[in-house]
Amino acid sequence: MSLNSHAERWWTPFKTINSVDVIHVDLLPSAKGETAAIAWLDAQEQARRRRFPYAGPRRRFSLCRAALRAVICDQLQCKNEQLTFALTQHGKPFALLDGEPAAISFNVSHSGKHGLVALAPKGRLGVDVEERDSRRNLEFLVDTVLSKREQAEFASTQGADRLHFFYKLWTIKEALIKAHGKGFSLDATRIETPLAMIQGMRGGVLQLPQMPAVTWHIEDLGTKWFAAALASEARASAILKD
Amino acid sequence: MYMASTEERVRSLVADNLEVDGKSLGSSVDLEASLVDLGVSSMDIVSFGKVVAQEFNVTFTREHCPTLNNLRELIEFLDSQAA
Repeated sequence: MSLNSHAERWWTPFKTINSVDVIHVDLLPSAKGETAAIAWLDAQEQARRRRFPYAGPRRRFSLCRAALRAVICDQLQCKNEQLTFALTQHGKPFALLDGEPAAISFNVSHSGKHGLVALAPKGRLGVDVEERDSRRNLEFLVDTVLSKREQAEFASTQGADRLHFFYKLWTIKEALIKAHGKGFSLDATRIETPLAMIQGMRGGVLQLPQMPAVTWHIEDLGTKWFAAALASEARASAILKD
Repeated sequence: MYMASTEERVRSLVADNLEVDGKSLGSSVDLEASLVDLGVSSMDIVSFGKVVAQEFNVTFTREHCPTLNNLRELIEFLDSQAA
């Protein structure tokens, strides 16, 4: 069965930024969609799916992973059966085509009803999506996540702006940490979001203090439904163009 | 005087602070499961780490952070800090 011939897709193109395609995955409960998604998972993924004890996380994993398979197969013009996934030593997944590393970079994130898949022919990338939760005690997390300068900006915001501000910076930092690919080894408070992005620009570039030689493109992908961000390793030509 | 064990205290913190899809994980949570596999968000895991650090008066370095994903390993870490 060809994944992309399936009549009822639950994923749609969302944005393309600097050669990175971002796909939105609809994670609303759908028995039909979930049944179709499960059929596309390999034995390893089926086993992982069974380890999720709760229905919501199980559904989100199945729908996102099947959508990821579909878009990778579309990009690489391969069959679902040729595709498997493995993990780096830091737990970041990568794709194998007929058992060999595939020429594609990707990253996946999901929160509540929304999933995002980012993929590009090469370069490290990370994506994060979060449904904003107004019940969350943001003040409790501020000094763990934001730099001193960002904390001062946060303190000057109120109400819904405060919620949007925090989630925007959280997703930017989470996307960067995922793109970096070494899990918790980055200290989020040492990542300084570009001032122009704090003030409303959607895109920017930055260097991590731990990796000053690498420039990262970051993009605020937030909508009224969710906060989201994309981080991708920038090529020198792309930086000059900016 | 009764002193709650580390496991009991961690289970209580889980019940009070961690939820999936709006429902508390409860105190009978499987200690062997990873929080990610239970469906806990990364923001909740970071927040939970801070709650645990305050409750047990410990500091988590970045190297300790993966420990937070597994409650059994977290309890062993907390016991090692208290020893």
